[in-house]
Amino acid sequence: MQRFTLGALALALPLAAAAAPESYTLDPYHTYPHFGVDHFGVSLMWGRFDKSSGKFTIDRAAKKGTLDLTVETASLNTGDNDKGARPRSRDEHLRSADFFNVAEFPRMTFKASDVTFNGENPAEVTGELTLLGVTKPLTLKIERWTCREHPFNKKPMCGGNASASLKRTDFGMKYAVPAVGDEIRLYVEFEGYKD
Amino acid sequence: MDAALEVVLRLLGNPVVQSSVLPLLAGLACAALLYPLRLEGLAALAGFLAAVAAIGNFGLEPLTATRKIVLTGAAAAVIGALSDFAFKSSRFSGPMLGAIFGAAALWVFATVLRQKAPLDMVMIGGGVVLLTVWLVMATVSLQLDAARAGAAGLMLGLGAGVSAVLGASALIGQYGMALGAACGGFLLLLLALGPRVGAGHALTLTVAVLSALLAAASVLLAQVPWVAVVALALVPLAARLPLPGTPLWMQPVLAAVYSAVPAAGACVLVWLQSRGWTL
Repeated sequence: MQRFTLGALALALPLAAAAAPESYTLDPYHTYPHFGVDHFGVSLMWGRFDKSSGKFTIDRAAKKGTLDLTVETASLNTGDNDKGARPRSRDEHLRSADFFNVAEFPRMTFKASDVTFNGENPAEVTGELTLLGVTKPLTLKIERWTCREHPFNKKPMCGGNASASLKRTDFGMKYAVPAVGDEIRLYVEFEGYKD
Repeated sequence: MDAALEVVLRLLGNPVVQSSVLPLLAGLACAALLYPLRLEGLAALAGFLAAVAAIGNFGLEPLTATRKIVLTGAAAAVIGALSDFAFKSSRFSGPMLGAIFGAAALWVFATVLRQKAPLDMVMIGGGVVLLTVWLVMATVSLQLDAARAGAAGLMLGLGAGVSAVLGASALIGQYGMALGAACGGFLLLLLALGPRVGAGHALTLTVAVLSALLAAASVLLAQVPWVAVVALALVPLAARLPLPGTPLWMQPVLAAVYSAVPAAGACVLVWLQSRGWTL
């Protein structure tokens, strides 16, 4: 009987391991939050944050997961870093108290523990976004999700693309609304290596 | 009627109107209305708050440094007006008010200072307090001379505002220029009614506190160099230069010309810094 139990445990062990929550660390070189904002009702201007970090966990069996993302707001980049003949560039203006106020609020965070699944894959991540000291709920829609082995270093990895929409005035970023749009489209491409 | 309202709303949405015409008119109207009550010094706060309302960036959540500046400026005007009525001015008034608002400056910038390394926190916090104490003492000492006080307020506001715009913060810039324009409204009443108009602590303390905090914010939250703020801090001294044999109506104008020199110097220093020049 004891031998049978041990045998059953040995058989079940790989299954249990596969069902356990897996933890991933975001790869900062392949994880970039992008944002798009209307400019004077004419065009949609794009920018991104160059520095972000974080972790996510996924438990496919229990259909659960978490996401913890930290974005360094001073790393924003809209492609206008060279002020040329102007006193300041657009990126410098966006870092000032008018918009992201990076001296006072250097980080934006998204913490989520509510993940809905579509089959085996996560479909939506609902959590709380903290920007400029204000925390509001936000749902990230996972538009693409893939797990595989890295082709070169052979490490297990997962990643994809996610998107969300928010109103900047909800976070107290009221300057230049409506000339510079209130609605912010957020797109995040992310990749993480298994811990 | 709808068309007229639309025009007014469009004008109020214009940043130039928000930070110049509106605060000038609000400052003038407030000074004229409150002159019989000897509260014309509240013109600086009235014009400033009119601009804050029109710009529409104010709220208490989150209570950022910029928003704390608005609250502290309002508190300065109230304390200034109360002290005009309740206390006889003495040589301790300036240092005492300076100490109170120097401490308030630390509260305003607490969230920014907390991000700094300990030594930087002490150095920058000390600089902010020193700037506030100095500007309060130097500007409040002009309270019995409405021409000089108004001229100093005009140039402190404009200097802080234009510097901030050059330093990448339009919001702080608009606030500063609105303060200057509001003092312009006060000066217009002074030109119309003559020396019966008084500045008092209500005007001088408001101007000193707001300009000190806006100048410090343009350093900490934008990219204005400290050296430009030092130049700006010389405005109350420039306003004290002699006005020998000047007709009464000419005194505010000449005091404003004197005050414009360090204010313009501050703006030039910010511009030079943006071109890569360092001290």
